[in-house]
Formats: sequence, C-alpha cells, structure tokens
Amino acid sequence: MTDTQEKLLQSLSDCVVDMDEDKATEMAQTYVDNNFNAYKAIDQGLADGMERAGKLYEEEEYYIPELLMCSDAMYAGLDILKPHLDKEESGDKHRVVIGVVEGDTHDIGKNLVKIMLETSGFEVVDLGRDVPPMDFVRKAVEIGAQLIALSTLMTTTMENMERVVEILKEENQDNIKVMVGGGPISPGFAKKIGAHYSKDASKAVQLAKTLVQEAVPC
Amino acid sequence: MLADQMTPMERAVALAKGEMVDRLPCNPNVANGVARVYGCKISEFNTSARTIADAQIASYRRFGNDGVRIFTDLFPWAEAMGAKVSFPEDNTADLAEPAIKDISEISNLQPADPYKDGRLPIHIDAMKYLIDEVGHEVGCAGGIVGPFTNAFFLLGIKQLSKLMFKNPEVVHQACEVSLETCIRYAQAIMDQGLTPTISEPMSSCTVVSPKHFREFGAPYIKRLVEYITAKGKPVTMHICGKTAKIWEDIVDMGIAGFSIDNVVDLKACKEQIGDRVKVLGHVDPSAVMYGGTPADVRRAVIDCVQQAWDTPKGYVIMSGCSLPVETPFENIHAMMDAAREIGYPVNPDKLNSML
Repeated sequence: MTDTQEKLLQSLSDCVVDMDEDKATEMAQTYVDNNFNAYKAIDQGLADGMERAGKLYEEEEYYIPELLMCSDAMYAGLDILKPHLDKEESGDKHRVVIGVVEGDTHDIGKNLVKIMLETSGFEVVDLGRDVPPMDFVRKAVEIGAQLIALSTLMTTTMENMERVVEILKEENQDNIKVMVGGGPISPGFAKKIGAHYSKDASKAVQLAKTLVQEAVPC
Repeated sequence: MLADQMTPMERAVALAKGEMVDRLPCNPNVANGVARVYGCKISEFNTSARTIADAQIASYRRFGNDGVRIFTDLFPWAEAMGAKVSFPEDNTADLAEPAIKDISEISNLQPADPYKDGRLPIHIDAMKYLIDEVGHEVGCAGGIVGPFTNAFFLLGIKQLSKLMFKNPEVVHQACEVSLETCIRYAQAIMDQGLTPTISEPMSSCTVVSPKHFREFGAPYIKRLVEYITAKGKPVTMHICGKTAKIWEDIVDMGIAGFSIDNVVDLKACKEQIGDRVKVLGHVDPSAVMYGGTPADVRRAVIDCVQQAWDTPKGYVIMSGCSLPVETPFENIHAMMDAAREIGYPVNPDKLNSML
C-alpha cells in the first residue's frame, strides 16, 4: 500500500469520526481518482471510522446525534465508492434480516446496526419498522438468512420479539438465530425468549460474526 | 396480599409533616397496563376521557399504588401541533409523522390549545373525573412531555438530532414553541387541581450529550419547571436511561422529585442529589417486573430500599420506567406487598434479614 493510499484511508476514517460529510465525499472522490481499491476504502476507511465512532459512543464521548452525523458522512463516502466495487470482492456473504418489531417505529438503533453489519461484510435485508413477527421469519427462510436481528425502543412491543422465536420453532427453522437489542432489552429478557442479546450497534456486529460462525452453513 | 393502613393521601400528608406512616410510598407506574386491569382496549383511551379515568381508578383500587396519572403516550402535544400519530387497536400510540417535514415550515408551528387541539381536551376531561372521584384519597397527576423531547416529535427525531449540529437556531425555535404548548398544558393541569409531572426521555445521556442537553434542553425545561413551581406545585421529573452526568443541571431547575431509570446507580443518585430532591425509582420494568417472578420483584424492591430509604428529601419505591402493558398482575402486587412488608420506619437490619 502506498503512503498516499494509507493517508487517504486514515482521512476517510477521520471524516466519519469528525462527522464531516462534505470532506468524506471529497476524500472518497480523491481515493477513486487514484484508482485505489474501493473495498479497502470501505473496510479500512469508512467502516473503521464507524467502529471508532461506536467506541466513542461506548465511552460516552459520542451520543445518538453524533452517531447519526457519522453515519451520514459514512453514507456520503459509500455513495462515491460503491460503483467502484469489484463484484467478486463482495464475496460470499452471510445474510441477515433486520427490522424493528411490530408496534414500534423507532429505527435509529436498527439503522446503525444495519450500517455496521453491511460494512462488516454482511448482506442485510431491511424490513423497516413496525414489522409483524411472521414477516421476519418468511423473509429469512426465503433468502436463506442465518440471522434475524430485532430492535425495539418500546417495552410495549417486546412480546413480538418472543413471537419471532416461537414461530421459528413452530416452523422448524430454529437453526436461524435471533439477536435482539434496544433500550428496554436486557440480557435476562433475551435469554428468557431464547434469543441473543446485543448491548449496542458495535456489539451487534461482534455478536453477529460469532453467531454465523456457529451456524450450520446453508 | 397485605392491607394498607392509610390512604396514599394520608400517607403523603403525614410523611410531609415528618409523622409516622404505615409504609414507604410505592408506585409501580402501571401506565397503559391499566387497560388490562379495567378490561378495555388501549385505543379507547384516544377517544374516551371516562375510560382513561376509570381504568386509572380500577388499577388504583386493585393495587393501592401511591399516585394516579393521566398520561397515555408521548405524543398528544406534538399531535395537537400537527404531528401524525398512529393508534394501534390495543397498544400504545406512536409517532407516524412529525408536525413539519421541512425546516422552511418552522414558522407554521403554533402552540397547542389544551382545550381544543388533538386529544388534549380528552385528557383534561379525564383529569376532572379522576380528581373528583379519587382526589381525596390519592395524589392525582397530569403527565406532560417536556419541551425538548416534544421538539423532537415536531421536527422528527433524526432531523432535529442533526439540526443541533447544522442549524441550532431552528432547534431553539422549535423548543420555544414547544415550551409554550407545555406551559399552557401545565396550567390546564393545575386548573383542574392536579399536579404536573414531566417526562423528558430525549434528555437522557443515553440519547443526547450533556453538552446538547445544556444548550437545547435544559433552558426550556427549566422555564417549564419554574412556571409550575411559581404556581405553588412541586414538580417530579422522569428521564429514562443514563442521567448521572446531568443530575446537577436537573436539580438546578428547581424540581422537587427525580424519577430514575434502572440503569442508573440509585445509591450514587441519593448521595449526590438526595439532599435537594426526593428520589424515586428504580425497579427494572423489563427484566424484573415483566420478565421476573414475584420473588424476583420482592428482592429488587428490598435492594432499592436498601440503597435509598435514607434519602434526606425522601424516597419513593417506583419502577424505573412505565411498566410494559403485559406485566403480570402478580408482580405488581408483589411490588406493593414488598413495600408493605418492609413497613416504616425502615429498619436496615430487617431489610437484611428479608433477603
């Protein structure tokens, strides 16, 4: 790797952490103009920046609005880089179905997890918000997903997470793992319903990686 | 189920005078779960003041909680200012669309009229029924979402979050008009004879930074608190999630009580601000109250009381947030019974032996 490439990767990562959308676009364009490898720019530049932002969130240096600004900067860079990705570089991806459970329309947390999963090499199908339990299962079976990721901010909708796990069992699809997260969700609750708990977006990526390694390959 | 020796009102009055009582006050915060007690759909709260009041009263008769409150969801104020709200048949209402889509419409935002706009008149009628029928025996509150949190619902959560960086002036404008709605509604609550309580979930350090809270939240919330206290009513405020970094800011607003989430260190809260405000909290509404057994609930209540019973300004056993709708009744009874079993004055040796 040349010095210029390394500097640009660092700069892309910094743009995300510094919430600088315009500069992220500019740096990504410079990177592409130099004909450097686009996948690397996402992996070691933008995703690295989101990971650092996630750490700052854990350390309570950053909060939800900061993460939203970081993700905007990341998406700005992605828009420039995406057309330059070589197909085979995307490789064989693990598939995840993600969404906010029925009864809740808060999707900030879900969107962050989605971004971080995507930039960590997962293929993510986003069902959006207020999603009925059956839809998660249908979509996961249809696309051969190894993982369903469920989010909620509202205590009132937690039963719908349990419903997803139950339906998977009823349909003999319980090789598909379920991970849950969001404000009111506790490790105890996740265990009770037979799901896996993730405290926040960056932990969700680590958990997803562990879960798909355990999963039987389809 | 154990029996109370005093009504919540008798208990509150005696505690305020420093006299003997039967037990610590305890409020499980049943919220929309009162629909399960009363036997109605949650959506009936959107149209019937009578049902809101009757469900609150039914829950109070069943559990004996210290305090009833008219508060169905976070959105009536934003809705009254033009936001769209979705109403599931039997679940809590949610924000569907903010009041304005583009910041160019900011000057279109007008403060709500509590007696005319949206569901606010229904809530005010419910307050009248509540205070007429149980006001002599239990404290009656009107819930209100604070001006900062409400501003998020006016402009959209994502949009307002970004505007704090990109266009602070617009955020201040939204908070200002939001505050005017809050003040009018708080006045309406007091005019019915109830006490306003403020919920400010977006102020949480789990959501926004202390820096943003101080810049955009605190000044407006403080003006609301000052308005209410100037009329002689004490204000209790609840903020979900982490709050330790903003405790001093909250106390400086002049509130009388602070209700904390279960993710907060209750003992640390007592030690830092318990000399200036009453502390309320913080049994876990999800893992313990919804997901646990009555024995788990009893243990959690004892644990909370051990940490905070000696708060100088007073302590109320409470859930860390509104209970999930499907919380088992037996767990709510278990919470009240634990308070009765602990009794008063609280004896730390007895608490230890109960575990």
